Amino acid sequence: MKTLIAISIITIVALALVPQLYFAHAQLAQQTSEKQYINLRAEVWNEFFRMTTAAFTVGAIVSGTMIWLVWRFRESNPKNKNPTKWEHLEDPTAGSYEDEGGH
Amino acid sequence: MVLELQKPRPVWQIMFSTHHTDVGYLYTITGLTFLFMGGVLAMIIRTHLFFPGEGVLISDSATFNRIFTVHGLTMLFLFALPVANGIGNYLVPIMVRYKDMAYPKLNAIAFWMNPVGGALLWLGFADTTWVSYAPYSIIRAPGPAADMFIFGMKILGISSILSSINFVVTILKCKHPDLPLRRVPLFAWSMFTVSLMTIVAMPTYAAALIMMLTDRLGISAFFNPFAGGDPIAYLHLFWFTFHPEVYIFLLPSIGMMYEIIPRFSRKPLYSQASGVFAFVMLGIIGFASWGHHMYSTGMDFTTKVVFMIGTLAAVPASGMHVFNFLATMWGGRIRFAAPMKFAVGGIALFFSAGAGGVLNSAMPLDFITHGTYWVVGHMHLFLVGTIGFGFVAMIYYMFPYITGRMYSERWASVHFVAMFWGTVQTFFTQHLLGLEGMPRRVYDYPPEFTSWTQLNQIATIGAWIIGASFAVFLASLIYYAAKGKPANMNDPWELGGKYYYPVEAKNPHGGHSGY
Repeated sequence: MKTLIAISIITIVALALVPQLYFAHAQLAQQTSEKQYINLRAEVWNEFFRMTTAAFTVGAIVSGTMIWLVWRFRESNPKNKNPTKWEHLEDPTAGSYEDEGGH
Repeated sequence: MVLELQKPRPVWQIMFSTHHTDVGYLYTITGLTFLFMGGVLAMIIRTHLFFPGEGVLISDSATFNRIFTVHGLTMLFLFALPVANGIGNYLVPIMVRYKDMAYPKLNAIAFWMNPVGGALLWLGFADTTWVSYAPYSIIRAPGPAADMFIFGMKILGISSILSSINFVVTILKCKHPDLPLRRVPLFAWSMFTVSLMTIVAMPTYAAALIMMLTDRLGISAFFNPFAGGDPIAYLHLFWFTFHPEVYIFLLPSIGMMYEIIPRFSRKPLYSQASGVFAFVMLGIIGFASWGHHMYSTGMDFTTKVVFMIGTLAAVPASGMHVFNFLATMWGGRIRFAAPMKFAVGGIALFFSAGAGGVLNSAMPLDFITHGTYWVVGHMHLFLVGTIGFGFVAMIYYMFPYITGRMYSERWASVHFVAMFWGTVQTFFTQHLLGLEGMPRRVYDYPPEFTSWTQLNQIATIGAWIIGASFAVFLASLIYYAAKGKPANMNDPWELGGKYYYPVEAKNPHGGHSGY
């Protein structure tokens, strides 16, 4: 769990820093000439479409995972005939699931 | 849980009760009533836009403006907030193991402000749009409609603040001493987070409403550009409240999914701590992104970058919720009863809506999509796709506990398929309409624009499908509350009777004398 939180914080910091550096550079470039400014606009769009491609790739992976997950772990799937280990426990939440190591 | 409908009581006993389940019931019924009223307005709007140039159903633009204004206000403030508060009233005291809300009378007063505020909004039928931007709302918007809008919103705002104070005090001060805050179930955490956000955000809008009223009366000129005022100042005040308000609408729905998914997956929640962390993060980040609604107002470049980063910072926290849901389902034995179907459908649409939001938050694309149907599609994908699905899931989930009877799983499946199909067809299409350049809030468009016509007609058919799905929902709720099979109150869905939640919280649904 601590790892998950650490990764999230690092991601947020990265999200904050990377565009800031990029746009700081962009602002400096804007001040030079009109031609460079136009080129920069094209670069920003180029970067945007690259990010869009990345976002849709991640989206496809997550959506695909969700569809597979729903199909695989539905109770009507023959592989899921038997109760899970948690269903056998008197109190499945006794202790902490995270303390037990999750998966 | 108390069975309100199984033990017949005079209506006035429920209406004037201060018990949290009665107030919760009143909130939920009020919210659903306004949902159907707002839904009728949506059907009128979409049917009108199906026939460009013909003025079907709505014959003038002023009426059109009034209809979409009241539709927006109704769905946001008279459906989304009351239903979240209603379910919160039901569950939060039980989840923190207390006998009632901290201030029961204040709770009832907060509820009764909703019908009053709602009556003002509906009787006034203002044309300001739900955002009521200055200078139109202070110079041109006809009274008394706009004044009734201001007073209606003021009353609803006070109601929100009062109920938020109640939730915060109940959770912090009335929870059982054996129950540490970090182990409080995540639905209660979601209500706690949004209550704190409301207390911080709402006073700003309350002040803006007073300033708007005094501007309209000619006493002041805060937002009146003809007298030296600044309309952009109103936008800042408005969005400082209403961007966090987006999360205030959203987080209870996510909290409801946390209640449903472990139970129907027959597995404990994957990570309580990451859920709490993500709620708190979204609660903070919600205040760092209001400026992304205002990129086109002449804001300087650096400020826009800051708001863009603030907006993107919501992605990891939202992602933590999605991954928590998926990890909880992984390895489980999932029963796809109605609550689970709607919860999983809601997660899928939450992800799609979030992806659109990321694109929208990027400055270059925002300039293309600003003020277009893209924004309408994005906002509705969140409101219907995530919030609507979460609330419907929770209503099906609580139905047997409230009525003592089971709903029809077959009709619930029909409702789910139609609502999911209609949501995708309507709101994904509206994104495309935006990219085709169709502005939002237009009364009519030229029939010669064939792409606009075709996309509008596809979206309208989707809206009719959503409308039909909610007609099924309404009929099903009424019929099965009276005629449904008696539910097995200890295990309505035959899931094994276990409650997969932190041990200190216990099962809030286990037996009727649970507290």
